[in-house]
Amino acid sequence: MPQLYKSIKPFLLRFASMPLAIVLLMVLAIASMIGTVLLQNQEQADYLTQFGPVWYWVFRGLGLFDMYHAWWFIGLLGFLMTSLAFCLWHNVPRMLKEMRSRKVKLTDHAWKRMQHTHKLTLPDRDMEAVAGKVEKITGWQWLTYQEKGFTYLRGDRGRYHKWGYILVHSALLIVLIGGWMSVQFGFRGNMAVPEGGMESRISYVKGTGSESLDMPFKVRCNSFEINFFPTGAPKEFRSNLTIIDQGKEVLTSDIIVNEPLYYRGVRIYQASFGDGGSKIGLKLFRLDGSKRVDVVKSEVYKTYTDAESGISMEITDFKPFNVENMAAPGEPKKFQDIGPAVDFVLRGPGLKPVKVRSFMNPFIVNGQNQGSLMMISLTGDNRDFQSFFLGPDLTKPKEWELFHAFSKKSSGIADGGGIEVFKAAVSEVYGDKMPDDFRDVGIRTLQGMQMLPSLPWPFIPLLDDYDQVYYTGLQLARDPGMNVVWSGSALLVMGLCIMLYISHRKVWLVIEARERGMRIRVAGLANRNLMAFDSEFNDLLRDLEDNLGLSQQGASV
Amino acid sequence: MTAIALSGFFGTIQQGRVTHIRFWTYIGFFAGAAALAFFGDSGYDEDGFLIRFLSMQGVIWGGAGALLGLGLSFATGKSGQRSPSFIENSVPWLDGLLLMMLLMAAFTLLEPHEALISYEDQSNLISGRIVMAMNLLFLFSAVCYIMYLFAPESFIGKMATMAAWGGVYAGGTSLFLRWYESYLFLNGDIGHAPVSNLYEVFILLFCVTSSIYLTFERRYQAKAMGAFVMVLVSAGVFFGIWLDSIGQADIKPLVPALQSYWMKIHVPLNFVGYGSFAVACAAGMAWLFRERLERRGSASMLKIFPSLDQLDQLAYKAIAVGFPAFTLATILGAAWAAEAWGGYWSWDPKETWALIVWLFYGAYLHVRISHGWSGKTLAVWAVAGFLVTLFCFVGVNMYLSGLHSYGRLA
Ligand code: HEM
Repeated sequence: MPQLYKSIKPFLLRFASMPLAIVLLMVLAIASMIGTVLLQNQEQADYLTQFGPVWYWVFRGLGLFDMYHAWWFIGLLGFLMTSLAFCLWHNVPRMLKEMRSRKVKLTDHAWKRMQHTHKLTLPDRDMEAVAGKVEKITGWQWLTYQEKGFTYLRGDRGRYHKWGYILVHSALLIVLIGGWMSVQFGFRGNMAVPEGGMESRISYVKGTGSESLDMPFKVRCNSFEINFFPTGAPKEFRSNLTIIDQGKEVLTSDIIVNEPLYYRGVRIYQASFGDGGSKIGLKLFRLDGSKRVDVVKSEVYKTYTDAESGISMEITDFKPFNVENMAAPGEPKKFQDIGPAVDFVLRGPGLKPVKVRSFMNPFIVNGQNQGSLMMISLTGDNRDFQSFFLGPDLTKPKEWELFHAFSKKSSGIADGGGIEVFKAAVSEVYGDKMPDDFRDVGIRTLQGMQMLPSLPWPFIPLLDDYDQVYYTGLQLARDPGMNVVWSGSALLVMGLCIMLYISHRKVWLVIEARERGMRIRVAGLANRNLMAFDSEFNDLLRDLEDNLGLSQQGASV
Repeated sequence: MTAIALSGFFGTIQQGRVTHIRFWTYIGFFAGAAALAFFGDSGYDEDGFLIRFLSMQGVIWGGAGALLGLGLSFATGKSGQRSPSFIENSVPWLDGLLLMMLLMAAFTLLEPHEALISYEDQSNLISGRIVMAMNLLFLFSAVCYIMYLFAPESFIGKMATMAAWGGVYAGGTSLFLRWYESYLFLNGDIGHAPVSNLYEVFILLFCVTSSIYLTFERRYQAKAMGAFVMVLVSAGVFFGIWLDSIGQADIKPLVPALQSYWMKIHVPLNFVGYGSFAVACAAGMAWLFRERLERRGSASMLKIFPSLDQLDQLAYKAIAVGFPAFTLATILGAAWAAEAWGGYWSWDPKETWALIVWLFYGAYLHVRISHGWSGKTLAVWAVAGFLVTLFCFVGVNMYLSGLHSYGRLA
């Protein structure tokens, strides 16, 4: 066994070497960069389109899409741990010994390595008295040793400097072990709980797929609310949750971002939110000239199919507030809420599928009513929404009627009939009681005459009413390695402070008798912070001269 | 180049008894402020705290603490005794902090009438003008430091130093003032500490970098290095002006994830790290510059330059300040992440880049003590390290996406 040990020792020592440490740190740094440039854990299909099949499979083979959990990256971290362990194993005993042993006697060879040296001569020959006076100098730990007519003194400051090294490197090992424990014995996943609903299963991404895990308790979301800043930016997300454990309600509490809930070793965080299946009422304004308006009830995440036309609407989202910047480009921003809106994808026979955002209220800016509003995105992407002003304010039944009356009267007349025909249509619909904003009604109706016939659908779907339900997106995590990581971190910072701010400073005095008087040689050595040591050494010399009564005589040589 | 003994008026107030008394008074003052936060009338209210502190309550609680500290210092201190160096080193920083707060308080009185200040148009706020002054001071200081290299007269050098100090005070004051101003509109709803966007943290970075350098300058007479530090700061100043010009200087509400006391600890501490790394970079640049001068043999400039060895030591010192601060800041960031997102480490780009920076300087420390590496390698390493730091600080926000969206340009 000792034989084997001896033969592999040089190999093991290589693990503990400084060049390896430097290389390892740099390799880790460079490897970590990859994962920040290449977005991690995206949809596989996106990667495929981005890189093409060849590179996709190369990257996937190397685990680059979930790089920080790839075998080779974990391997690197394992390598670092091994290296740290050997480094400690190799150095700690040596350092402990070095901290205990303090060589007082200085050989000539060692003398040459000193950063500072100085010589003094004294007229008398009482070495003991001198040694006694030196030991009175505070701030240094003194040791004395006598041999063959020489008296040696050694002073130390910051003797425990090496503990810094030991603390830092073992702390790193502890942090890495803690991280490993977190991964091995902990979990972290998400759940979405609709208001009033209950959930006990979390799901999380693993490698290129998704997995799920059952919690030993259920979470019920009683309510979820968002508060906004006056600018429309969200201010606070707040969920009221109840934990149900074995059928009993054990705990009810609010959580917000930065203030999680803790139950049975699991922390529950406010992570996201979304629509939890709001009840949606839509009005379908038929465009077949019948003036018919159908009322439809559905929910977010459901699909409504209109039996008459075969058109389906897959409702994808609902928002009660839609704050938009109303200012023209270049002007100071002006935010306004334009009210509730529902999003759906509209499909039908012979129609190109489009995404529609349909608003409940007419669009009113600076007090001017610009009629009902819809936004349409031909690509299905929210960024491509374009506004369509339909013309009439369809929340007012009279305007819907006016549109029909006017189009009936003006059909067949070459130029549309002009103002006279319009006046006739208005008096038919409103009687003598003209609307106050007569002019605007006119503009809206004319806009409608242009807009509505050009729509490819047989009806206009507008949001009519709603009953909003949110879901709250929670993150649940258990992390048994966390406290290990924190203790390692504390040691790390402590160790760094010791290592970087406390240097080990040593001074030696060699006192020898001469024919007349004696000679004192002083030497000093510090292992870092050399500039401060310069002045420290000079301070020591001054103290020495003061204590030995030399300063008046100026006897130093 | 050894630590110089301070002399004259500033020497007297930086040492001995006066320092001792002042230190404990400050400690008392901060303890009083903390007590107000926790035991004051309405308990701990995170974001209304500054406003409360600026009112009579702050005077009473802070003042009582300060008096207590003062009494304690008289009871414990012996006259004629030197204070520990820790106290002597921290008191000038605390002095500076106090002065900035007083300046801030004075400037709040000059704020324009409420009707002239609104969320939509923040151009009337005074802090903006103070930032302008800061920009000018830093630029002027950079010019003076560069002139000093060619004409090492003490007059120019003194102007450079004074302008730099002025810039630090202007920057610090403007930040404090911005904190106060964030309460002035939208019913005080969006008030928060001024460390929430790129523009604000840039001002912080200038101040930290300059004051770390100025401390070095005072202690080690490394004035020739100032040109390099201030050129870096000036580059930042131009970046800040650009940010302002594209409307990134406005006070905006905080997203929920940032509404945490951790932000006030994590961000400034990170900038102690970044600032020190900037100073180390300047020392590295000065090293490379001096080496070229030596090869060319331009004697006049060499006279005022610290030696290669000293520059190397200065770079190391700066990193020795920055590395533990950055380590602690990263750990606190992890603690915040653990509280806000459910995990202390998510390999978010910003986190990962912090790790990269940390590994880079960790390697630097190892390179230093392993034999056989030249001073040039270390100087280049210090410069390169700062480039990595810069990417971590600005590049990640601009080019990569992630959870640390606070700095993203909208
Ligand atoms: C790969 C494994 C590592 C090995 C083999 C290693 C080895 C060493 C050795 C031999 C020393 C010199 C101690 C002395 O004599 O004063 C040292 C110092 C140090 N190590 Fe490591 N180390 C490793 C990893 C790390 C890591 C990951 C860090 C953190 C970044 C680190 C931080 C330090 C620091 C800060 C010093 C002190 C530098 C100085 O004295 O200025 N080490 N290391």
